[in-house]
Amino acid sequence: MIIGLGNPLLADDGVGLRIAAELRRRLRGRSEVTIIELYSGGMWLMEAMAGHERAIVIDAMAGGGVAGAIHQLGLGDLPQTRTADSTHDAGLPVALELGRAAGLQVPGEVQIWAVEAADVETFSERLTPAVERAVPQVVERVLKDLDATPPVQPRRKSQ
Amino acid sequence: MKRVSINPITRLEGHGKIDIFLDERGNVANASFQVPELRGFEQFCRGRQAEDMPAITSRICGVCPEAHHLASVKALDQLFAAEPPPAAKKIRELLYMAFFVTDHTTHFYALGGPDFIAGPDAPPSERNILGVVRRVGLAAGKAVIECRARNHRVIQMLGGRGIHPTAGLPGGWSKSVSEAERAEIEEAARRNVEFAQFSLQVFERVVWRNPVHREMVESGVYCHRTYSMGTVDAQNRLNLYDGEIRIVDPEGLEFARFPASQYLDHVAEHVEPWTYLKFPFLKKIGWKGFQDGAASGVYAATPLTRLNVSAGLSTSLAQCEFEKFYAAFGGRKPVHQRLATHWARLIEMLYAAERMLALATDPEITSPEVRAIPQRIRGTGVGSVEAPRGTLIHHYESDEKGLLRRVNLIAGTTNNHAAIAMSVRKAAECLIRAGKVVEEGVLNRIEMAFRLYDPCLSCATHALPGSMPLVVRVRNHAGETIRTLRREG
Repeated sequence: MIIGLGNPLLADDGVGLRIAAELRRRLRGRSEVTIIELYSGGMWLMEAMAGHERAIVIDAMAGGGVAGAIHQLGLGDLPQTRTADSTHDAGLPVALELGRAAGLQVPGEVQIWAVEAADVETFSERLTPAVERAVPQVVERVLKDLDATPPVQPRRKSQ
Repeated sequence: MKRVSINPITRLEGHGKIDIFLDERGNVANASFQVPELRGFEQFCRGRQAEDMPAITSRICGVCPEAHHLASVKALDQLFAAEPPPAAKKIRELLYMAFFVTDHTTHFYALGGPDFIAGPDAPPSERNILGVVRRVGLAAGKAVIECRARNHRVIQMLGGRGIHPTAGLPGGWSKSVSEAERAEIEEAARRNVEFAQFSLQVFERVVWRNPVHREMVESGVYCHRTYSMGTVDAQNRLNLYDGEIRIVDPEGLEFARFPASQYLDHVAEHVEPWTYLKFPFLKKIGWKGFQDGAASGVYAATPLTRLNVSAGLSTSLAQCEFEKFYAAFGGRKPVHQRLATHWARLIEMLYAAERMLALATDPEITSPEVRAIPQRIRGTGVGSVEAPRGTLIHHYESDEKGLLRRVNLIAGTTNNHAAIAMSVRKAAECLIRAGKVVEEGVLNRIEMAFRLYDPCLSCATHALPGSMPLVVRVRNHAGETIRTLRREG
């Protein structure tokens, strides 16, 4: 499963959604890959990926680095989430553990592609230029990554 | 002056920052709570068609799109002078009740509950929903996930989409409810009622009967005697979807009662130099600073204040819990102990579940009459609902073609900015004493002061974190960092 995460109205925060839309176009016919757009992390993200073997999450990142820089991260690269850090929810690692404990089939592998954002606080439907340039690069790298890994059989959602 | 910053730049959603300024003796001189400022919303909307607003505003936030969607369609009902048929109003409220149950559930089990159920001094790795599940039982974890799943399904059925509903239209709703859908929603509502009752039992058993937690709830650290705001029906009973906004003073006497369209007569916004955020206050009292009491215009709009402005609840089980709640505080109303907001939230969850059941079994809910077609453009519309985090107001003005000229939103959390800043400051003042090292448990108790409001820190950003979850910097008056605390996971 591929999940584009972000907000379509807040400039670079929409980069994950843009990449997901482009991947959907490029992966037409690949029935074993499900692509969705999502607007919240935490529990929502866990619930969305439940029932899938592998998940790729694409999102903007506000790490203070160079705008448009592309990072490939794993769950371990996220600061461990705790209630104190979560505005309305549990963070993804905690949510995944909860899902697993509650019997959901959460993915064994979660990969995160993050694009360093320049602006996530201005209402706009456009990406800033550096982030726009990162879109095709992430698309190609995700496609290459998909080709390099053997396909898996889709599972039924367990909920 | 020393400065302590609590800076949870985190997760996949938003971030906020607490600054605590210490004087030379190490006592708290001031405290502030800041959230990122989202810029340019009015400009972004100007010139767009008013009827696009329910879709646009529901995307402001990935957490409460349903609240924005409904406040927006209610504003459009007025702007297009189209009164929705009764069934349309009921469908809207039905969807909203499903949303309230899932939102309040998530808050209690993932955010509010861990401080009590795992304990405020539990290590951070325990102070989360997993810590709750370890103590309350795995069945509770499954129940939370099932509750979210069934209510998301109801929202999808009624609203057209899983996350951002699309069914709201000026003058009504785009689809009616079939008998099969109604039956499924009724079943979901019954299970919601059971789950809300279970959650209230957990609260009573684990929190209220534990003397340590009870003392924390009742303590002065988390007490503020401000005005209370909420929405009530004609009999002054709580209504989350519709009614008039009612404000009571710190003694519980009615101070104002008005339709949302008159909000500008009652609420004004104060600006502080240290933040772009505005602080709404009661216009007729005036801004007197971050102060408690009847002479200060500060008010709060939360699950607790909604109970405070209500004479009662319209559903029987929740009404019993409402009575039990006030009896537990010695029959005093309003209750000003802010940690009681967590309890009030669960009472609202039961109310929403029962109201959902009442609407799902209302014979009119399957009526095909769900739309009044707008015939003219009035040009002004103000819509409001009670969002989980407080009264939410959408105000639109358009030209004669329905193109937007002006947009103003007061989000639930916005109402509470002054109250949150005051709560954080008071908790810091009570908990940080001269010369004492600021420890993890103390920081968490200060965070509890804003967590109880469930603030929507940045109703929209989903940037991945790039820093540690929490950094505390203690600086001396020369600005040198003399101590850095990093809270690792």
